[in-house]
Amino acid sequence: MDYKGDLYYIEQILAGNSNSFSYIVDRHKDKAYNLAFRICGNHEEAEELAQDSFLKAHRSLKSFQMKSSFATWFYRIVYNTSISHVRIKKKGVLSLEDFPADATDFIGSNTTEEEAENEYRSSLVNFALQKINEEERGLVSLYYYEEMNTDEISDVTGISKSNIKVKLFRARKKMLEIIEKVEKKKLIYHE
Amino acid sequence: MNNQEKRTDDLLSKYITSERIEKAPDGFTSKVMTLVRLEKSHLVSEESSWKKNLVPVLSIVVTVLLIVSAYLIPSGKTDSIASPVLSLIKNLKLSFPDVNISSVFRLSLPSVIMYAIVGIIILTVFDRALSRVFHRNK
Repeated sequence: MDYKGDLYYIEQILAGNSNSFSYIVDRHKDKAYNLAFRICGNHEEAEELAQDSFLKAHRSLKSFQMKSSFATWFYRIVYNTSISHVRIKKKGVLSLEDFPADATDFIGSNTTEEEAENEYRSSLVNFALQKINEEERGLVSLYYYEEMNTDEISDVTGISKSNIKVKLFRARKKMLEIIEKVEKKKLIYHE
Repeated sequence: MNNQEKRTDDLLSKYITSERIEKAPDGFTSKVMTLVRLEKSHLVSEESSWKKNLVPVLSIVVTVLLIVSAYLIPSGKTDSIASPVLSLIKNLKLSFPDVNISSVFRLSLPSVIMYAIVGIIILTVFDRALSRVFHRNK
C-alpha cells in the first residue's frame, strides 16, 4: 500500500482511528531505532527507547503543529529521550582493550572475510561513538546516519547551527583519534 | 568547511559509509501498537471511573449542602448552636426564605419537609443533567 504522507495519518489518528499510527511507526521505526542505538549503544535499550519515543509521540500528537515536518518533530523526541536515558544511566568509560584487535574476531561460521571486515569497521565506528559524549553521539548520528544538514539538526536538537558545526568538528576529531588508536593496536597485534 | 574539517569529515565518512543502518527488530510495529492500545484502554478506564464517581460525589455534596442549609434555617429560636452562623447568613441575606406551608397546602408540616422536597427535586434535576453529560456515548 502506498504511504499517503505523515499528515494524512496524523489527521486519521486525531479523528479517532488509532490504527493509522501503525503506518507512521512502520515508516519511521528504522531511523528512530538507528538514532537511539547510536546514542545508547545497546540493542535492547535502543528498542525500548524507540518504543518510548513512539508512545510519547502518540500521546502528544494533539500538540504537534502541522506547520513543521513530523519527522523533525519526532526525531526531536527520539533524540531527547535517548540523551536523557544515557545521562541518567552513565556507563563506565570503555577502554581500548575492550575492542577486539582483529577483523578475524568477527568471522562467524557463515561469514566471508569481506563481511567480517565490514562488521569490524561497523563495530569500530560504534565503539568510537560510545567513547564520545552523548550529545556528540547524537549529532554524529543525525549528520552521518540520518543524513541531515545542520539546519535540520538544529531543528531537532535546539542547538544553534554554529554550535553544531563546532561540536561536530570536535566529535569527528575525537572519533578519528580513537579509530586510529585501535588501528595502531591492530598493527602491533599483527607484528 | 575548512581543509582540516574536510579532511576529518572525509576520513570519518570512509568508515561510516561502509556502516549499515541498524534496523528495528521484527515485530517492532506490532509491539508499539500493543503498547499504544494498552495505554489507550488504561486511559479510558481511568477516565470512565472518574466520570462514574463524579455523579455520586456531586450528589452527596449537594445533599450535604441541603442538609446543612436545612439545619441552619431560621426556626425563630436564638439559642441554637448555629445562631452565630445564622445571624451571619441573615445579615448577608443568603438564607432560605421563610415559607408558610400551612397557608399553601393547608397542612401543618414542619418547614424542613418543604426543603427536603425542594432538595429531592434539585437532586433529580442534577442527576438527570449529569447523566446526560457523562453517559452521552452510551
